[in-house]
Amino acid sequence: MAETHVMAIGVDTRAATGIPTGKIGVWWFLASEIVLFGGLIGSFVMSRLGSGGWSEMAAHLSVPIGTINTFVLLTSSLTMVLAFAAAEKGDQKGMRTWLLLTVLLGLAFLIIKGFEWGSKIGAGFTPMAGSFWSFYYTMTGLHALHVLGGVVVNSILFLSALMGLLRGREHRVELAGLYWHFVDVVWIFLFPLLYLSWSRGGR
Amino acid sequence: MARERVHPNYVGVWLWLVALLIASVGVTTLPVPTGVALFLIFGMAVVKAVLVALNYMHLKFEHLLIYAMAIVPLVIFFVLWLVLYPDIALH
Repeated sequence: MAETHVMAIGVDTRAATGIPTGKIGVWWFLASEIVLFGGLIGSFVMSRLGSGGWSEMAAHLSVPIGTINTFVLLTSSLTMVLAFAAAEKGDQKGMRTWLLLTVLLGLAFLIIKGFEWGSKIGAGFTPMAGSFWSFYYTMTGLHALHVLGGVVVNSILFLSALMGLLRGREHRVELAGLYWHFVDVVWIFLFPLLYLSWSRGGR
Repeated sequence: MARERVHPNYVGVWLWLVALLIASVGVTTLPVPTGVALFLIFGMAVVKAVLVALNYMHLKFEHLLIYAMAIVPLVIFFVLWLVLYPDIALH
């Protein structure tokens, strides 16, 4: 793959490690998030292995809708990292454009997920309809809350950039991006766990 | 303080991610044993996650400390999972 060299944005770093303080803070937060989502996903896998009858429930999920939402989130990761690349090059307009696209894609993900939730609840598949649905709503709901948090942060960054308040603080785009990409990685595992593992049958 | 950083080909990485997404959905239609299909589906999910972490989160350019902060909770998760697995999944 072709690679380009650019100059990184200058930020204060910790003397002991040479790593920007903000980046250490975000990674520390992401470490706690790994344990949070890891525990939830682990519980789901073990419960699924320890009991039967989940395939029939999971078959009611729409693989095309899940695939479209995965595509939307993967694309939002691209726009987020392009916003960071533009920020590093000092391209303020490019940074604003890519940030706005990331916000819109995040909102699109939430709207599609809301539509999916509504259709399932309308069909009687509420969180109380069984263990699978309890896990489904808990895992996708917690993930959607994280997407919403990312949309809020990216919106604040976009508005700050519009008002010229982000000049000299562009490294914040990278920090917000770390969180956004982590949310993307979580969905990369939730999608096959909930939508694809069941379409071939099994318990 | 500015230092030189290498940017991966972000669009190229995205193309790989989309290709793997399509492939993982396609695997569900293949006439292969369920175990093989699940191995392929989750194998591709791991590859996608690694692509995002290394290229979009820039882990491949990061300090060892950042790696440690990402890997230690993963190790804790797998150890807890392995300890609890026989008690729950095999009953």
